[in-house]
Amino acid sequence: MSEITLHESKQPALLPPKEEAIRNDNYKFAMWLYLASEVVLFAILIGGFVIWRVQNPEMVARMHDSLGVGLVSVNTFLLLTSSWSMVMGMREIMRDNVAGMQKWFAATAVLGVIFMVLQYVEYSELAHLGITLDFAGSSTEFAGLGVRFYSATFFHGIHVFVGVIWCLLVMRRAQQGAFSSKRYTGVEVFGLYWHFVDVVWIIIFTIFYLV
Amino acid sequence: MASISVPMPGAQSAPRPQLSEYLRWSVDHKIIGVQYMVTALIFFIIGGGLAMLIRWELLTPALDFSTTGSTYNSLFTMHATVMIFMWIIPFWAGLGNYVVPLQLGAKDMAFPWLNAFAFWLIVPAGVLMLMGYFVGPPEAGWTAYPPLSVLFSGDGQTLWIISLHILGVSSILGAINFIVTIKNMRPESMGWFQMPLFAWAQLATSLIQILGIPFLAGGLTLLLLDRVAGTAFFDPARGGDVLVWQNIFWFYSHPAVYVMVLPGMGVLSEVISVHSRKPVFGYKMIAFSSMGIALVGFTVWAHHMFTSLSPELRIPFMITSFIIAIPTGIKIFSWIGTMWGGKIRFNSAMLFSVGFLSQFVIGGITGMMLGAIPVDIHMHDTYFVVSHFHFVLYGGSVFAIYASIYHWFPKVTGRMMDERLGKIHFWVTYLSFFFTFFPQHLVGMQGMPRRVAEYAPEFQTLNVIISLSSFVLGISTFIILYNMVWAVYKGKVAGPNPWRALTLEWQTSSPPPAYNFKGEVIPFEDPYGYGTEASRVYLDEMEQRLTLPSLLGKGGTPPPASTTPEPVVGD
Repeated sequence: MSEITLHESKQPALLPPKEEAIRNDNYKFAMWLYLASEVVLFAILIGGFVIWRVQNPEMVARMHDSLGVGLVSVNTFLLLTSSWSMVMGMREIMRDNVAGMQKWFAATAVLGVIFMVLQYVEYSELAHLGITLDFAGSSTEFAGLGVRFYSATFFHGIHVFVGVIWCLLVMRRAQQGAFSSKRYTGVEVFGLYWHFVDVVWIIIFTIFYLV
Repeated sequence: MASISVPMPGAQSAPRPQLSEYLRWSVDHKIIGVQYMVTALIFFIIGGGLAMLIRWELLTPALDFSTTGSTYNSLFTMHATVMIFMWIIPFWAGLGNYVVPLQLGAKDMAFPWLNAFAFWLIVPAGVLMLMGYFVGPPEAGWTAYPPLSVLFSGDGQTLWIISLHILGVSSILGAINFIVTIKNMRPESMGWFQMPLFAWAQLATSLIQILGIPFLAGGLTLLLLDRVAGTAFFDPARGGDVLVWQNIFWFYSHPAVYVMVLPGMGVLSEVISVHSRKPVFGYKMIAFSSMGIALVGFTVWAHHMFTSLSPELRIPFMITSFIIAIPTGIKIFSWIGTMWGGKIRFNSAMLFSVGFLSQFVIGGITGMMLGAIPVDIHMHDTYFVVSHFHFVLYGGSVFAIYASIYHWFPKVTGRMMDERLGKIHFWVTYLSFFFTFFPQHLVGMQGMPRRVAEYAPEFQTLNVIISLSSFVLGISTFIILYNMVWAVYKGKVAGPNPWRALTLEWQTSSPPPAYNFKGEVIPFEDPYGYGTEASRVYLDEMEQRLTLPSLLGKGGTPPPASTTPEPVVGD
């Protein structure tokens, strides 16, 4: 790194084009690798559920009957919308429109928060049905379902939570002028993460609720 | 090949970093690499001390200094955990950190800050792990099988889990950093197949870590919940399943043994080629076999569970376990092919590499024996298993670590280690290692179970031999430690390229300056193209480029004759 001087302003100086390209490529590739390890983690949790439900099909059917898919469909829709608003925000930053980007990203964060709230509502409904983490205390009707169901969906919920925090951080850095049409890898990397959280949810939605 | 008889002019020491730089946060990969390696060595001494206590306990069939079996359980649990997670894995991370960016001609790793962060996670993790020993030590072995690890182990087991979690995060961050660095930071003229084989080994290792550690992390989280939150993932009485843990654990931990040995295989490819003055035999096969081991390594885990697995599931795992011997065999033959007809320099690094070859073959063959179902069911949980994995982890990984220390020490410190002491270290280590671990095959076959403090009296003779050899082995470690400390202050000045090696880390001063290279980095067309006229010209030119400016001015004086290294024979 030859003659990079850090300016007092929060706007970081651009590196020479070649190094800038390498830097961007590094960040995105690292994010893909990180997501690869996340895929493995979710694969165990989802795989564990699948193996278990093949052996206990009637229990999952009972849960589906009592719960319905209304609430979770709304939630899925919200999460998909949040991904869309994030893409719109990214389009704005490519046009150097920081304020526009922040508006769309705020929508993403709000949708993420609503998703978590609705997930909480759904968890309390499930708890009323007797689906709990504790084996001993849970009704025999749903014995063993709780841990498998909650571990995957809650782990996804944590990812949404982290995503919302990250979204707010990206907005704050945008406020400080860290992003422009020439430099928006930080936004893109967050975008990869948020899309991933979305895709995982679609798989969970299909396997845990629909099928 | 004519021998070089002129004194090498490069014998001038480059400035070394201050000691204080190693004690604080630094984003320089060279500092971080040394931080990793020194931390790992400290843990090696701790783990070695625990091993000495274990062998002391086993001198007689009765309980000696342990008051109960529990004391002994905690000893071997801590010994294994420290050696695996705090010594071998961090050491390779450190060596990779130091050497890989240099070999690729890069200024640093792709993410310097992340790199430092990954190292500084090791320190609290190690402290937590050791603290666990004092608050009610973990007793379930490094495999932490439930229900042992849930019902019977002390609070230290909880700290053990948290510590492993932190180490896992550190390893994943490190692995991402390595892969990005290796893919993106090479000079344009260096294609994938002009890359040094050590970098290939680190690439395969990092892939295993990225795909394997999440499994361990998931399992550890469940184990933690079982211990502190009252869940019952692994409690059969309440609907859980103990085999789930064994599956998760070995799905990570079998690939993890390749994490421990693949970088060592990378070291061997470097050391053997450089010191045999010959191109690596079968470069592509070695590179691909590393990737092959990484992939097939994920399909063999259940061979650790033959005795608890339903019979029809055993056969496929026996087959995959045999398949994974093929890429390893390819490497062994490639190294022998590399040495064949070479001008071999039997210095300490080379001796330890050849030592690795001989011991690792024994460990590999006993591994095949254990991979065969009937043998495994007979030998399961005996000292035969203990002997097998010490042959691959000590005779393999640790010998490779020693080879790497002797090989790269001049680069890291700018000083040569003492060859005579190195050779003494090799022979003492090699012989005491053999007499420590080879007799364990015999007691194992006679039926002595592992993880016991008291044993049948008929095993005592062999156990006394094992224990006495192990004490010699323990002491032999201090020879290399003394040699390193001595060499830092008193060693001969090494110059940039004491081994006349072609890979890029040797084409800069020792130790390398900030950002590693002054001026443009010019890799040679083939990192192992020894023995050609072109390589000789390249090495001479690089030598001149590096030493001329320091001879010409800026207060530099030509080195006194006494610091001139021995002329190196041949190219």
